[in-house]
Amino acid sequence: MNALNRRAVLTGAVAAGAALAGTSLTAPLARAAAPAAGAQAPGFYRYKVGSIEITVVTDGVNRLPVTDEFVLNAKKEEVNAALAEAFMEPGVFVGPYNPIVMNTGSKLVVVDTGTSEAAYKASKGQTGQFLTNLAAAGIDANAIDTVIISHYHGDHINGLLRADGSLAFPNAEILVPALEHTYWTDDGEMSRSPTKRIADNFKNVHRVMGNAEVLRRLRTYAWDKEVIAGVTAVGTPGHTPGHTSHVVSSGAAKVYVQADVTHAPFLFARHPGWHAFYDHEPVQAEATRRKVYDMLSAERMTVQGFHYPFPSVAHVEKTAAGYREIPMPWNPLI
Amino acid sequence: MINLSRRAMLAGAAATAFAPLATTSARAAAPASGAQAPSFYRYKVGSFECTSIADGARSFPMPDGFVKNVPKDQALAAAEAAYMPKGMVTVPFNPQVINTGSKIVLIDTGNGPVPNAPVGKLIPNMIAAGIDPKAVDLVVISHLHPDHANGIRTADGGLAFPNAEIMVPTQDWAFWMNDENMAKAQDNVMMKNYFANTRKVFDGLHDKVTKYDWGKNVAPGITAIEAAGHTPGHTAFAVASGNGRILVQSDVTNIPELFLRNPDWHVAFDVDPDMAAKTRHKFYDMAATEKATVVGFHFAFPSIGHVEKDGAGYRLVPVAWNPVL
Repeated sequence: MNALNRRAVLTGAVAAGAALAGTSLTAPLARAAAPAAGAQAPGFYRYKVGSIEITVVTDGVNRLPVTDEFVLNAKKEEVNAALAEAFMEPGVFVGPYNPIVMNTGSKLVVVDTGTSEAAYKASKGQTGQFLTNLAAAGIDANAIDTVIISHYHGDHINGLLRADGSLAFPNAEILVPALEHTYWTDDGEMSRSPTKRIADNFKNVHRVMGNAEVLRRLRTYAWDKEVIAGVTAVGTPGHTPGHTSHVVSSGAAKVYVQADVTHAPFLFARHPGWHAFYDHEPVQAEATRRKVYDMLSAERMTVQGFHYPFPSVAHVEKTAAGYREIPMPWNPLI
Repeated sequence: MINLSRRAMLAGAAATAFAPLATTSARAAAPASGAQAPSFYRYKVGSFECTSIADGARSFPMPDGFVKNVPKDQALAAAEAAYMPKGMVTVPFNPQVINTGSKIVLIDTGNGPVPNAPVGKLIPNMIAAGIDPKAVDLVVISHLHPDHANGIRTADGGLAFPNAEIMVPTQDWAFWMNDENMAKAQDNVMMKNYFANTRKVFDGLHDKVTKYDWGKNVAPGITAIEAAGHTPGHTAFAVASGNGRILVQSDVTNIPELFLRNPDWHVAFDVDPDMAAKTRHKFYDMAATEKATVVGFHFAFPSIGHVEKDGAGYRLVPVAWNPVL
């Protein structure tokens, strides 16, 4: 029996028998079927680290075709086999982006900013979701006091600027790793760019971090010191020269905000020896990765990963070939 | 420069501790939200739009006998290996809504209204997802345990889904509504309570529920699959549309961290634990071989994953959250 359905009518797919729909034996009322929502839930998730409230706010996912150039030291067949093992679609790498917001009680702090409002427009909402999901989470971009940047790749810094070039977080100071800033603003280093990709990143850094309003709010921070109260910068170089992770602690609770020590864990935690094309110094990045993941697994420490699938908070355990991430179970009540 | 934050003043914390490097204006810190995101998640199965909706999760000290056939230390070690807080176990509850395009079908209803509990959140999360409980056409109950059936009622005893047909598995209805079975269960507190609860929840609905049989469709595209053991009429479902297919396992396993990793472990709630273990092996050998997408009522929200064989057991690999549907 055909139920009369608003969607079917709208799409012109009305079956000839639809007129009989009102005679449905089971329906207590003749009602049109509810239309599909067609939209995902807002992408934010909250958890506490001691008294600090963390909100993971997704920026979306990027879909990248898998080529032999994606992992420098693995063939695309090996990468596709690893994707299949993770029950993901072979041939396509779905890379998530997940900035976080921390409310320390005295400050509202963003760590990394996503791919930007311009990317949201260009990708039709697939990436660059940070500002829309931030609003869905009830957080006013104007209320952000501090932005902490982990490193100078576009998916971490571009969200500092809106599509019209204005500041996304106009009232925030912008705290950046000193080594990272020095490297990417050095004209000599720029002139020695070994690849087009790195040369392009220099240009992007000039565009975003060289923005006068960004520069006015910018302060550098050093490794092994508190960036703000409760947040310590840890040098994790390799992915970029000044790549930085952050240990957030409150009371006895801690989380390791790893930034890009690994990219997506279903490939790069499982295969820590793989060198993703994004890694600036792949050998150093691998050494950093193994050191950090040995520590995380030994200490059973919670990790927040920018490129982990949302909500991107997990534990890590050692396996024969590498590491496996165990996502934190979603807590429906904070 | 001293940032006089409202929180710092209220808490009496030393304001000097928060001397920032640079501030553009002196403003009070935004208050903590204190509230979780609405816990719903959408996914497609062919042309069907599905919504996984959290009813909540309970965390509690693991009781004696939670796993009936292994020493408690062993069960606790498995929970701790899964990063559950020491001594504790967490059990989530996740009903599913399936919009087939012609019908809105709800599979299982959660714990229903429970005062001051971390469960019973199906209705508010459903409303957050934009689904009107009055628009639900069909409520399909996998088995008659309270965490699956009690959500058909509102706090005042009314019907939570007033326009929905309620479907129950024939075998489960026969078991729980049988007076002799109830009489035999009087010395088992858990079973006694389950019998009493079933009768209370379905009071006045005996002539209104529709009984469904295994191997048949409960709605177009949704087939009831025999999965007996957990209860005599316990049912899983296959949901299929176009090239899409998922298995809704209901309670073939309770929490996967314990009972999928160790499929021969007997959770306290199984009516026939040996049969439940046999069903579990059969179901998961099939799901692992087919690389099927499995939805589990007691998996962590959004409660969707794939299953891989791992030694004598299985491991759940949760799906990566898709932020764009």
